[in-house]
Amino acid sequence: MIELIEVSKSFNVGKVNQFDAVNRVSCSIHPGQVTILKGPSGSGKTTLLTLVGCMARPSSGRIMLGGIGAQALSGMDPGTPLEITSLPERYLTGIRRSAFGFIFQQFNLVRGVSVLENVMLPSYPTGESQVAVRARALELLELFNITRHAASQVGLLSGGEMQRVAIARALINNPSVIIADEPTAHLDSRLSREFMEIIATFKARGKTVLIASHDPIVFDSPLADQIIEMRDGAVTSDRYAA
Amino acid sequence: MRKSTLFLTLTALNLLLCALLALHARASNSGAGARRSSSRDLVRRLQLTDLCLFTEARYTRNPAMADRHSPFQDHPMALEHFPTGSLVTPPVWHREAP
Amino acid sequence: MKRSIERHRNILDFALSSLLRRKGKNLSLLAVYTLIVFIIASIVFFTQALKREAGLVLQDAPDLVVQRMVAGRHDPIPVAYADKIAAIRGVSEVKPRFWGYYYDAVTGANFTLVACDDPAPAAESIFIGSGVARTCRLSEGDFLPLKDLKGAPALFAVQKIFPSDSELVAADLIQLKGDDFRRLFDFPQGRATDLAVSARNQNELKTIAAKIVHEFPDTRPILKSEMLRTYDAVFDWRSGMVIVVLAVAVLSFIIFAWDKATGLSAEEKKEIGILKSIGWETSDVLLLKSWEGIIISLTAYLCGVSLAYLHVFFFSASLFERALKGWSVLYPEFKLTPVVDPYLLCVLFLLTVGPYVVATVVPSWLAATVDPDAAMRS
Repeated sequence: MIELIEVSKSFNVGKVNQFDAVNRVSCSIHPGQVTILKGPSGSGKTTLLTLVGCMARPSSGRIMLGGIGAQALSGMDPGTPLEITSLPERYLTGIRRSAFGFIFQQFNLVRGVSVLENVMLPSYPTGESQVAVRARALELLELFNITRHAASQVGLLSGGEMQRVAIARALINNPSVIIADEPTAHLDSRLSREFMEIIATFKARGKTVLIASHDPIVFDSPLADQIIEMRDGAVTSDRYAA
Repeated sequence: MRKSTLFLTLTALNLLLCALLALHARASNSGAGARRSSSRDLVRRLQLTDLCLFTEARYTRNPAMADRHSPFQDHPMALEHFPTGSLVTPPVWHREAP
Repeated sequence: MKRSIERHRNILDFALSSLLRRKGKNLSLLAVYTLIVFIIASIVFFTQALKREAGLVLQDAPDLVVQRMVAGRHDPIPVAYADKIAAIRGVSEVKPRFWGYYYDAVTGANFTLVACDDPAPAAESIFIGSGVARTCRLSEGDFLPLKDLKGAPALFAVQKIFPSDSELVAADLIQLKGDDFRRLFDFPQGRATDLAVSARNQNELKTIAAKIVHEFPDTRPILKSEMLRTYDAVFDWRSGMVIVVLAVAVLSFIIFAWDKATGLSAEEKKEIGILKSIGWETSDVLLLKSWEGIIISLTAYLCGVSLAYLHVFFFSASLFERALKGWSVLYPEFKLTPVVDPYLLCVLFLLTVGPYVVATVVPSWLAATVDPDAAMRS
């Protein structure tokens, strides 16, 4: 369970252009479920994703991580939730690397490098054996039907293929939480539905999924377990799908 | 093969080459005494004072015997006109005739 | 430990991938950098070896050489001076030296002629150096035509060629009998080119020199230590040609460093942002950049130094030939004994690798410390 307690995030604090992206948000994200963050652009969805995914620290409030394997890193009892709000960068990055997998809106693949290397990239600093990582990467490419592109440059792929590479990359470290930011923004309906089918497989494997989207194919999907609506940095509704 | 393996192998080979060259230097030096003996013999017998490096001009051939104004030997305004003169600096003397 | 090594290797893999992306640019950078290291290392090897040879070979040079100066120019010294000099306390022997230069119009070469009767060549015979043999294409038994001062021809038989190992001192040398020397140059009677003085005690040389000058104000004594010091100054970094080469090397290096240090391109910044967003820490990104710098500079250093060594000690510094030969026709073959000075090589290493790695890492520092969530926003 990931809990956010009165979390706020402001940018350019103290300056003329101070911007409060997230304003005193409290919510819970349940393990093994698909949670959708719904709302127009500028509502703070992306910022909330970065806070949950240990990419940024909140300006105020607390974030507790529990039951997602994060504790294994700090040697604590897996039952107790871990507060990540004030952890130093190194631990935060360590947790993020092992527990979270990100799928960015712009895919954020490295140009000029092969697809396989792109997928393996997040594991490089961990020092894990290349042989094992490579095998896992090839498995993932197989899973998403893009093995034939393993040695290709990412620039040569279509939008849908690039997204599958991005998804494969997100899974390379075997994370328990998948976070996706507007995943269907660059996809047509068919590919968007295919994406949701992939999400279904994640859910079936017990992974927690958090998606920010204003695409009805996503938030009206039967897979969605919880829908959190946001507007202007605050939560306007938080309901569980039937 | 992994790129890093290839790079590290090439670097290792390069280092090996450097090590071999260092050994070559060592070996050459141990045999150098004998090679130098013919030169030293000539220096002793003929009372030579310089190595034969640049045979262009007198002061480049025997720089130890030259003086500061040798390059201007032709006339006082003559600038250095031998290319290797720029490699040979005039010797520094402690005493000039009073 | 194993994780740490694996981490380094992974990041090294990616650094190599990054460099290979701009293959042309990086290969030419490597080539030029290697060339710079090659030239500097060649100069270092060459000059060190030469200086050491000079120091060792010229140990047996005369303790003191007394020259005579007339109107500021070198003039043959009266042999009579030798008696007075020999009387000075501490002097063991005074030998007149007869030597001079001969310009051979046929080949355009300058020879050094030395008269020595111990052992003397036969009458009208000469011992020649290997450089002379090469330039005039002579072997033992051949004849070398020389011209005396009046232009009349004088034929000399080549009795012996000095061994090629003595090339460094005798390449252009022609030794003849004393009488032949005087006849050829119409050398004034009772004069010698200069006097070679031997002293019993090396520490006395300065005193002896001072006494000689006091006795004969028209003379100039040259000490052995001064002769040897001349060779420390040859190829000194202050000498003309060496300074030009070093200046070019430094300027080239500044150009590289400038190119690297004037900030990262937008593409590079974006890429660092991506790496941070997928879980790379600041230290990982900096390690990546360090490896990129090390790969190029270390390879350039090792290749440059190895090639320089081969160039100087296996190929007799043939690339320097043009510069060292100048206008001379007779050029010695430099078969030098290798000298490896670890101090200079270390300094060269630090100067090669250090600044380049710094110039690669420092500009990335700012980009590397960016927050990972910045990548989400762009």
